[in-house]
Amino acid sequence: MSDMITASRERVADTSTPKSRRGLSWVRIVEIAVIVFAVAFALFPAIWIVSAAINPSGSMVSQSFIPQNVRSIDDLLANFRRLFNDPTIPFWRWVGNSLFISATTTILTVTMTALSAYSFSRFRFRGRRTLLVVTLLIQVFPNILAMVALYLLLLQVGRYIPLLSLNTHGGLILVYLGGAMGVNTWLMKGFFDSIPREIDESAMVDGATHWQAFIHLILPLVRPIIAVVSILAFVGTLNEFLLARIILSDRENWTLMVGLFNFVDAEFTNDWGVFAAGSLIAATPVVILYLSLQRYIVGGLTVGAVKG
Amino acid sequence: MSATAQARGSLEPLTSPKVTDLAIRLILIALADAFALLLAVSVIGDGNWFLGVTLIVTALGLSYVNLNPAMWPVRWMTPAFALVALLVIYPMFYTLYVAFTNYSDGHRFTKIEAINAMGDTLYLPEGEASYAWEVFRNEAGTYALWLTSAEDQSFFAIPDQALISVSGDVPGAYEGYTHLEGGERFRALSEIQEMQFGPSDNPVGIASRTQAGVFQKKWVFDEAQNALIDQETGTLYDADDTSGNFVAANGEIAPLGYWVAVGFNNFTRIFNSSVIGGPLVRVFAWTFGFAFFSVISAFSLGLLVAIILNRGFPGVRIIRSLILIPYAIPGMIGILIWRGMLNPNLGVITTNMQAIFGWAPNWQSDPGWAKVAILMVNLWLSFPYFMLICSGALQAIPATIYEAAEVDGANNWQKFWSLTMPLLLVAIGPLLIASFTYNFNNFLIIEALFRGGPPMIGTSAPPVGHTDNLISYTFRYAFSAGGTRDYGFASAIAIVIFLIVGLLTLLQFRFTKRLEEIGENV
Repeated sequence: MSDMITASRERVADTSTPKSRRGLSWVRIVEIAVIVFAVAFALFPAIWIVSAAINPSGSMVSQSFIPQNVRSIDDLLANFRRLFNDPTIPFWRWVGNSLFISATTTILTVTMTALSAYSFSRFRFRGRRTLLVVTLLIQVFPNILAMVALYLLLLQVGRYIPLLSLNTHGGLILVYLGGAMGVNTWLMKGFFDSIPREIDESAMVDGATHWQAFIHLILPLVRPIIAVVSILAFVGTLNEFLLARIILSDRENWTLMVGLFNFVDAEFTNDWGVFAAGSLIAATPVVILYLSLQRYIVGGLTVGAVKG
Repeated sequence: MSATAQARGSLEPLTSPKVTDLAIRLILIALADAFALLLAVSVIGDGNWFLGVTLIVTALGLSYVNLNPAMWPVRWMTPAFALVALLVIYPMFYTLYVAFTNYSDGHRFTKIEAINAMGDTLYLPEGEASYAWEVFRNEAGTYALWLTSAEDQSFFAIPDQALISVSGDVPGAYEGYTHLEGGERFRALSEIQEMQFGPSDNPVGIASRTQAGVFQKKWVFDEAQNALIDQETGTLYDADDTSGNFVAANGEIAPLGYWVAVGFNNFTRIFNSSVIGGPLVRVFAWTFGFAFFSVISAFSLGLLVAIILNRGFPGVRIIRSLILIPYAIPGMIGILIWRGMLNPNLGVITTNMQAIFGWAPNWQSDPGWAKVAILMVNLWLSFPYFMLICSGALQAIPATIYEAAEVDGANNWQKFWSLTMPLLLVAIGPLLIASFTYNFNNFLIIEALFRGGPPMIGTSAPPVGHTDNLISYTFRYAFSAGGTRDYGFASAIAIVIFLIVGLLTLLQFRFTKRLEEIGENV
């Protein structure tokens, strides 16, 4: 690792000059080696899982990089057929559950964080700094260890509000919302800070309320960070596994992640192909979403943070 | 610009709220309060006063904020903070509370609940058996007893039904039930030995091969002596309110204990117990090491790649997208793919290493290689994220700063350490902290990759693994299927983790503030 750091030191200074015009110096060779390594490291598992998904025999022992014994397209889809037709795997139901839970959580999270971040960014009040620190600090408490408390909470509340009881999507969403504040509020606040205050101030001189300024002027300007937080919240919820596993007990209610993890408990090396097929379907849309919205993610994550 | 100067700009709303707005707000607050109060009362009725009080305090806090004009900036945060109060702060305090109790398997109930639960245990007094019995069975296989008392009164007893008064000698058949005699009676004995006949609140059972009797409650609580009496043996079990057990004079403990406050016992156990102390130190070290090396390795590789790409590289956009893929793949799926690839017998990495080098580490059972594997997988998961934010932050550093530095004669080394690194850290310092605390509490990769394994030798119930970090270790204590689940002890460790990470976060926070000041001066 120290080699890499030393190598980087010498080059960083050039960040201001976008194009390098040197020949194939040894520095360039090291650079190319690093990038080739990084790309190979990043891609190999992804490629391997695609290969596993289309391997007709479906078990780990028979997998080769290029699938063998392929006579038709149909053979390539063998694992997918098993995934869709096995009555013990309600795959599409899991997908639906995951989408519903993630979408609901995202909409509520973004609404709440945007309101809080606007307030933190624009208003000055006693205890503001303390609240900001607290927002970050509470995030530090390991959610998993509060599991006993959260479990009993849903058990209790569920007796009177069945929509939020254990083994319901409502209960899971509620628990997710509690953990969604911290970092997201900070990210949004950083971005809000970068919007000049004169914009809302001039609107209020014209008689607008804070609410009107927020809705009509600020929200359109902070779309990038809204997009970033939405994606982070959506994907974060989609990927969450532990709370979902503890709260949702019925197979029918499971999210996709809980369902996929279930393959590991059984005979993982034999179910490898079906697991790969399910993973491919689950991961592909998320990967496409990330890559196509890359610009927003990069912009939002850094601009917000840079301005502090 | 100071905070007070900023405040003057926009602190007060320029228009006062309209009457209708105020009315709507009042109605909404009243409705929310009524709902919270109703829920709180019901919850307290169930004995959960802790949650009830939380609900009431939250509702009062929200009403105060929404009715006090001075608190108007905080109103924007009310929905978020209501949820935080209920789902983050309440569980925290509840965990704190549990940490000072002996809440665990065998100590889950309050004293009264425990006494009631044990009241369901029945026994058959010996020597007092008052019936001679004959067994009957119907077509459905249900057994019934023909009971004859010493006073020659006879009853027919079917499970969960009132006794039926009958008379005369034992018949060959009765109401669809057939009398079982001789060998059949003997064979039935093993099945009906544990069964209860007649009314469920006062059942009759088989006491011996010829005698049957009425079941009695085994445990009776005597308020005056504050003790539980075993009716079968007459033993007195004194209620020990410091340990939450019913203890007999000979030291024997009744099957169910109850939930009491135990002070700092759980905390002293963390640091004292020789059994627990040994592995816990290693778990601690690994937790810090794992979090530290995860952040450092991912940040270094991410920064390196970002710098190279920023300097100009053919196909930058495509390369950046390709490197982003691990970040975009759902973490759990990524970890499980690695788990498959690292499989000690069939995994692609293992088999290929064997083919090329003739040797491959056993990733799952060698403690050192298991740690290497976890760090490698975590590097794969998180370096794209650091590449992403580093390259954004690098682009945001204005070129004029470097030009100015060059005019002043700074060399590359100085420019990197005096300009790039401080500015970079200002931008992504908070994210580095967040990443450290995230990894400090990273349960997913530990659990999903190797389940904390390989197990440390000499630890049991629950077994501790070489790659267990504090959080997974604690999780095993609270939720493991084997051994007793000790929520009190697990909660105490949770509190310790929280204190450590909270302290780190505060320290880092100071550090970030200092960096911000550096950033402003540049």
